[in-house]
Amino acid sequence: MWKKIYAWLDERLGLNDIYKATLDRPEPRGNWWNTLGSASLFLFVLQGITGIFLSVYYTPSPDHAYDSIQYIMTGVSFGWLIRGIHHWGASLMVLVVFIHMLRVFVTASYKYPRELTWLIGVGLLLVTVFMGFTGYLLPWNQKAYWATTVGTQIAGSVPFIGDFILKTLRGGPALSALTLQRFFAAHIWILPAMLAGLIGVHLFLIIKHGESQFPNKED
Amino acid sequence: MKDEQKEIIKKRYDISLQKGERFWPDSIFKDALMALAILLILVLLATFIGVPVEPKADPSDTSYVPRPEWYFLFLFKFLALYGQIPLVGKIEWLATVIIPGIFIGLLVCLPFIDRSPYRYYGKRKFALGFMAIFVTSMVCLTYISDIPTTLGEGFYLPGILQTIGGLVIPVLGYSLLALMNFVFKKAPAKSMIWATVGTVVLMAGLTGATLALAPAVAVEETSVASTLTDQIIAGQDLYSVNCVECHGDDGKVTTIEGVEGLEGKLVMPINGHDVLYTLDDASLAEVIVYGRPDAGMNPFGKAYNSEGLTKSEIDYIVTFMRFTWDDRFELPPMAPLFPALVAGEVPSYEVHIAPIVKRYCVSCHRAGKDNGNYLMTSYEEILNTGDNVPLITAADENSILLKVIQEQNILDEAGEEIIGVMPPKKVLGANIVDVFMRWIMNSMPQTAEDAAAQSTTPTALPTP
Repeated sequence: MWKKIYAWLDERLGLNDIYKATLDRPEPRGNWWNTLGSASLFLFVLQGITGIFLSVYYTPSPDHAYDSIQYIMTGVSFGWLIRGIHHWGASLMVLVVFIHMLRVFVTASYKYPRELTWLIGVGLLLVTVFMGFTGYLLPWNQKAYWATTVGTQIAGSVPFIGDFILKTLRGGPALSALTLQRFFAAHIWILPAMLAGLIGVHLFLIIKHGESQFPNKED
Repeated sequence: MKDEQKEIIKKRYDISLQKGERFWPDSIFKDALMALAILLILVLLATFIGVPVEPKADPSDTSYVPRPEWYFLFLFKFLALYGQIPLVGKIEWLATVIIPGIFIGLLVCLPFIDRSPYRYYGKRKFALGFMAIFVTSMVCLTYISDIPTTLGEGFYLPGILQTIGGLVIPVLGYSLLALMNFVFKKAPAKSMIWATVGTVVLMAGLTGATLALAPAVAVEETSVASTLTDQIIAGQDLYSVNCVECHGDDGKVTTIEGVEGLEGKLVMPINGHDVLYTLDDASLAEVIVYGRPDAGMNPFGKAYNSEGLTKSEIDYIVTFMRFTWDDRFELPPMAPLFPALVAGEVPSYEVHIAPIVKRYCVSCHRAGKDNGNYLMTSYEEILNTGDNVPLITAADENSILLKVIQEQNILDEAGEEIIGVMPPKKVLGANIVDVFMRWIMNSMPQTAEDAAAQSTTPTALPTP
């Protein structure tokens, strides 16, 4: 029975081809350093899931953001766990993505034919850092408010267009409800969409070229 | 890159594939274990460390020292050190835009800058050395990010060390590596390794020296009430210090008495329907922030009063008022102000006296009030200040403090009153007087441990 269903689906979806292309691949001998990429992907998925749960209770307005997070921490069952994982997961994700970048740098895996994979990877690192930056404001506490004030000031110090960047980020000359709304939109829609798209291309390129081998003296 | 070179690379990769493993199940197995380990670490961090609690954002509190998330600290410190450089340090956008821009640009363009086909570590000393110095300086800057760059005017050794270790040495290291790579190509191969190791060790050493020399910066602890009962207690304490003088401890005062400058002013009782039913939480908070200048009430918001209250603190006061006086709200079960004493137990400053004093005395007995110079905000002040010292004598039941809280005023020889009964408008409960009596009769122990040592019945120490 199952065999029949599988055969029917395979005929239409090409499950066997997908299996061969993505999973049943030969690879150079790897070690634990090679798990950092998939660890980053896992953290992205985990941040996505916990983030969706948090968005059920979170309110992106200066009047309610702080209290809604207080409520998540004390009122919602296991809210503290979800928020705790999201909070620490963010730090760990930046760390893991950075170490992944270092590993690729040290083994020179960015060289032919994987130049594009590296380029996309740098994009992923930067977007991950921006995720951290935008997510930092959302609790609307003292630390968040003043760190974002300084952070947007730094972005505003660009010659000529600095003022424009500052106002675009803040939604006006000062930090306000608009800033929170913008950072929220960036944090849950714009940046995750960018991350997901870039991850897709990154994975496609990895499957296309295969994981690089650790170099030996002749490489 | 020439086609022959590409062919060689492909051939070598095929050989490594033949000696390799399968993605499924070999690599996936390791990946899954790693994911599991990460999940476990996160659950443990969330359970045992949790998320640090911070007070609510307060745009008026400009004294707040901003600190970014930890992975931006190195950039933060770099900007601070860069600002110390004469002349160039004043051009802010060089450090905020150009220098980070160069490093990000290098990272993006790396495959097109590093065009050699070699991948083995020994053939990439320049790239690896450069990255080693960069990562070390990131780590070092992160470690010293809390230490001030300057301390007033003049010579400050840790500041100099920071600038040398955080800016000068890495720049020298990069230059040295670049020189050896591009100019003195015939320099011995090992010299590059030594240059890198030397730079890294120097940076680490100077960071260590800075950390050892610089005085530890005291981290200001901000107490944040997260549960409703904590918020109500925090609100009541703040109310007791800031509001009681005029509004009384039950909020029903209609004519202010005994307050300099406001004597005889009429106020609306703040514990009744007129206030609580007509003003919502936000409006109540606004009254506290802006005050009522026409009625003589000072603004209490930080923006209008440098010694004022933060947004969170004002919210706590509003919460306290709601749950205590508004009959639409039910006060949750609250812990008593101090744990009740059993026979033979000796109270301590930390557990018993401090909360009582905060609730009933500090409102007047703090700096800047008419209080006979008797301050009660700390253990030392309670024992040692006041115009009529000693107010407290160990094991003396005729101590002035004990007399005035038992409704006996103190007269001088001419029969004039020097100190009135305390608190002036309220009689303390017998259990509170008992706490003070036992505390003074047992030589005013400060900590719970000291008090327990003197108790005749052994009592369990309160868990901190």
